[in-house]
Amino acid sequence: MSDEESEQRGQRTSDVPVDLTRERETFVRQFLRKGVELTETVLEENKTLHDKLNAAQREIAMLRAQVASDDAIRDLLKKIESLETERNKLLEKSTELEETTRQKETRNVEVEQELHDLANLYIASSHLHSTLSVRGVVKHLKELLQQLVGAEIYAIYLMDGDGTAAKPLACDGVELSALSPVVKGEGVVGEVMMTGIPKVSERWDEGGTLEAPLAAVPIMVRDQAVGVIAVATVFEQKERWAAVDHELFKLLGSHAATALIAANLYADADGALVALSGVAGHLTQPPSS
Amino acid sequence: MADFSCLVVEDSPMMRQLLVFALARIKKIAVTEAEDGVDALRKLANTRFDLVVTDINMPIMDGLKLVKRIRSDETHKDVPIIIITTEGSTEDRQRAMALGANAYITKPIQAPQVIAKVKELLKL
Repeated sequence: MSDEESEQRGQRTSDVPVDLTRERETFVRQFLRKGVELTETVLEENKTLHDKLNAAQREIAMLRAQVASDDAIRDLLKKIESLETERNKLLEKSTELEETTRQKETRNVEVEQELHDLANLYIASSHLHSTLSVRGVVKHLKELLQQLVGAEIYAIYLMDGDGTAAKPLACDGVELSALSPVVKGEGVVGEVMMTGIPKVSERWDEGGTLEAPLAAVPIMVRDQAVGVIAVATVFEQKERWAAVDHELFKLLGSHAATALIAANLYADADGALVALSGVAGHLTQPPSS
Repeated sequence: MADFSCLVVEDSPMMRQLLVFALARIKKIAVTEAEDGVDALRKLANTRFDLVVTDINMPIMDGLKLVKRIRSDETHKDVPIIIITTEGSTEDRQRAMALGANAYITKPIQAPQVIAKVKELLKL
């Protein structure tokens, strides 16, 4: 600024009236004060807003966490539901499998029993026909009755020549000499001999005797009874007839005579070859009635 | 090759065959047969058995004498013994068990019962 301008400015300042200067100063002070107040207000509001912002952010974070937790709970609940459904299905399957296993075990027991019964029949039959000795056949008959049926007192009767009575052939639990012949048609045993129909009692409470046996089984050749097996008593541990006993009685009825006849005829033959002579001839002859 | 060997002592061929059939249902067992107590002792002297199944009423040496002899034999004193017999009274059973038998089964036998008892004694 040149000296002239400075001089003019100084001259202008001294020309401004004192009131205006004071007014100007007052205004500037007021302006500055108001500015400070405004600034303080703004700063305060800023702080308040800042605090509110922080609070809001904290709340958002909390809400987010809660939502996430709710989602997790929802997921867990869904998972639990799905696992419970799976568990119920598995329990159902397990019950079905248990039932199938139980049925299989029951069937297994039945099959084992059937196998045992068949073994009894096979062994009885094969032993009966395994010998051509009369003593051997009778021994096997007795073994079959005692060991497989459980007969304690029994007698085997065979029809005599004229077919009117049966004489005792073998027995157990009683002396053979103490037994009398059985007349066809007389008494339980005689009736069985006449009819060819076995009598097997399921009632054991009164016990049995050789006259009224627990079982009377006719020994058959074709349709003719040629003898009887009478079972008076069984071993005390035997509580009832088993299914296999009825089958053994049938086997005895149909095979005992055959085995005895074969052994009896062989006893008179002079060896196997003699016994077999004439076999081919029988095949060329017409069958007998 | 079987895991266990069993000696069946029975004078009745029919019963012996039935017992062998029953034991054959158990896959891991090899069966040797003896006709009476003396025959059984002969076989026991030559072979180590894991189980003995014996009748009581046998000629020459009965089953109870056989059990006594087995229990005094160092090799077989602990071998399980099953008695299979027609004698069904409680006294007979008690006598056999007192001599050292492990099980007592009466005739006529049921194969499933014999099999179950063998499996129990051999822990199969």
